[in-house]
Amino acid sequence: MNYRLLISIGVLTAVSLSTAAGQSQKPAAAADTAPKKVAPKAAAPAAKKTFRTPWGDPDLQGVWNDATSTPLQRPNGQGKDVLTDEEAADFQESLAFDLTRDRRDGGADIDVNRAYNDHWMDSRRLKITSDKRTSLVVDPPDGRIPPRVPLPPDRDKIRVERAAANDRFNAGLPQAVTDFSLPVRCIIRTDSPPYLPTIYNNDFTIYQSPGYVVIQPEMIHSARIIPLDGRPHLNKNLPQWLGDSRGHWEGDMLVIETTNFKNYPGVIFQGGNRETYKITERFIRVDATSINYEFTISDPATWTKPWTARIPWNRIDPDEQMYEYACHEDNYDLVHFLTGARDRERRGEAK
Amino acid sequence: MRNRIPFAALVLLGFVWLPAAGQQVPANGQFPPYRPPRMADGHPDLNGLWQAFVTANVDLQDHEAQPGPHPEIMGAYGGEPAGQSIVEGGEIPYRPEALAKKRQNFENRAKVDVSSDKTWHNLGDPEFKCYMPGVPRATYMPFPFRIVQGSGPFILMAYEFTTATRTIRMNFKAEYPTPAWMGWNRGRWEGDTLVVDVTGQREESWLDRAGDYHGDEFHVVERYTLVSPYHMMYEATIDDPKVYTRPWKISFPLYRRMEKNVQLLEFKCVPFTEQLLFGNYERKASK
Amino acid sequence: MKITAALVLILAVGGMPAWAHHAFAAEFDSKKPIKLRGTVTKMEWINPHAWIHVDAKKADGSTEEWMIEAGTPNTLLRRGFTRDSLKPGTEVIVDGYQSKDGSLRANGRDITLPNGQTLFLGSSSPDAPYNLDKKQ
Repeated sequence: MNYRLLISIGVLTAVSLSTAAGQSQKPAAAADTAPKKVAPKAAAPAAKKTFRTPWGDPDLQGVWNDATSTPLQRPNGQGKDVLTDEEAADFQESLAFDLTRDRRDGGADIDVNRAYNDHWMDSRRLKITSDKRTSLVVDPPDGRIPPRVPLPPDRDKIRVERAAANDRFNAGLPQAVTDFSLPVRCIIRTDSPPYLPTIYNNDFTIYQSPGYVVIQPEMIHSARIIPLDGRPHLNKNLPQWLGDSRGHWEGDMLVIETTNFKNYPGVIFQGGNRETYKITERFIRVDATSINYEFTISDPATWTKPWTARIPWNRIDPDEQMYEYACHEDNYDLVHFLTGARDRERRGEAK
Repeated sequence: MRNRIPFAALVLLGFVWLPAAGQQVPANGQFPPYRPPRMADGHPDLNGLWQAFVTANVDLQDHEAQPGPHPEIMGAYGGEPAGQSIVEGGEIPYRPEALAKKRQNFENRAKVDVSSDKTWHNLGDPEFKCYMPGVPRATYMPFPFRIVQGSGPFILMAYEFTTATRTIRMNFKAEYPTPAWMGWNRGRWEGDTLVVDVTGQREESWLDRAGDYHGDEFHVVERYTLVSPYHMMYEATIDDPKVYTRPWKISFPLYRRMEKNVQLLEFKCVPFTEQLLFGNYERKASK
Repeated sequence: MKITAALVLILAVGGMPAWAHHAFAAEFDSKKPIKLRGTVTKMEWINPHAWIHVDAKKADGSTEEWMIEAGTPNTLLRRGFTRDSLKPGTEVIVDGYQSKDGSLRANGRDITLPNGQTLFLGSSSPDAPYNLDKKQ
């Protein structure tokens, strides 16, 4: 063999040996993409460099809780977006009083809806966010979701049907399983984005592995698996109940774009339109015990402009555990609602 | 051509593998020694989308091809394939008095009655009703699942069937607070094997469509071991002194799903069961 | 600073997103308040609602089997309660509203012990009929 060939073989050998030597899975290319146009630019603090996974991604892993009494929208008449300490204390006290289930005032009609004592509820929901905002909505600046666009006949028909189904349910006279909401049917609950605080089980576990972020909400036992490798979304023919998510890093911020929601009432937040609805979520580690979660919803066929909300996710107890939330398996209520309605119809109590 | 590397040289350097004389395709059940890629903590990397290809969900033990429930409606669609037992020794060692319940389960597998809260779970295979399948059944159902292993205190297993998930708590001492459908899973490493101790499962779950079942002292110990870049051996030791005469073992390989861009999809089957379970209580149009 | 009446109602019922939890008024009757005293026979720590089975004593000395609907167990599990926490035989007083269809079912609006302590609020008393297991 000639000299040039020997060198070539040497190089080839070196290259092949290095690639073959039992390497760990390399993290998927966390590409430095050109900053995507996300509106609005959040004033989120930069993550500390110390919160990194061993393979170099920002570390969001752990069990987090998003309970808060801060309402989604600023209450009417509340002008300020951020309160002073004293105002915040008053605001929180009013909200906590409204939310507590340990009061018995207001008459039986209201009291039956309070259902059980406070000890069944997440006590952390009685506190407002630590940044003392009066709403979770941060854009538009008035803290209110933008006005809705008038619906075309086909979507309005669905809206009317859902409202009628809801009325039947509230009257205790549901006619069919489809009269119930998706949460009551145990199909989706807090696990459908955007993630919003509720009265209990506000826990989420975030897992990460090279090339993936996975979010597992407590209700209803599912997981959103978010690939970070830049693969395309699923085709439109393959919609998902929780949508189809793809993530990427922008600096220390995780950005998730979700599309392909199933075309079924109740799947998309507040009746958004499947073809035009876009939700972009952002996660950024703030410090040892908190993450900022922010989402922007844009749907010109439903709201006059895009809007954004920000919710802190906290880790108060480092040993906080999430527990299984089985739902359909023991959903006795669904039978009670239906048999109760048939009973009332037989007794002539139908409205 | 001056820069062309002779084929022989490529063979010598290992870039081209030639089967040695007499060597066949891999022998069943045999894997050459394998050292898997590792995570930063030194443990094998189990991340990936995995799936079993045994028919154990039909029947853990030897079974012929069979018509399935309601062949008069389902025809060949409802039929189930034949399969070989994945139980070591072939048979599940039921206590003699426990076998009657297995037969009863099988007869009632496609029947439901949720008219009373107190008898809600008496009839029907939990899979038939779209209930979370429990462990080890979730592993050998004909659906993929993803293992998510990072640097946190838990490993996640996310199953396509009813989008069930289970959290493997690593090196965790506490016992289960209350029974769960996917159990209480505590994991640890033994060498390169992930060992998961599963207690606290709901006693109502079944092991397959043949009516195989367990009681409330159900205890499963799973072992996951990578044996090639594309295979993971799965073993489970199963016990319940109220139902079986001794612990027994199952094992089979799990296969890495290799399609480009393959992902876990949703098999949210609750809507498929609502008419079956609740249809009787809906308002019927008057005649 | 005041909050409008509309918001008060929304927050009182839920403080939850629009899709929210079911309205209890759909199942339980505000015109049928009940107060029972009886013993626990079984506690189902299940979702979406835990259920407490109570043998309630009637005035004539007979007992009725009631099922009392409670909240999600997960919140209590995080506070250290377990499957052994509410032992059968525990005497309880249930204040609630009966099922609209008249069956022996009610929501457990307030569930207390005969000594007035709220059940599930937790007790450090050694006589507590339930026992809180520490997590780890």
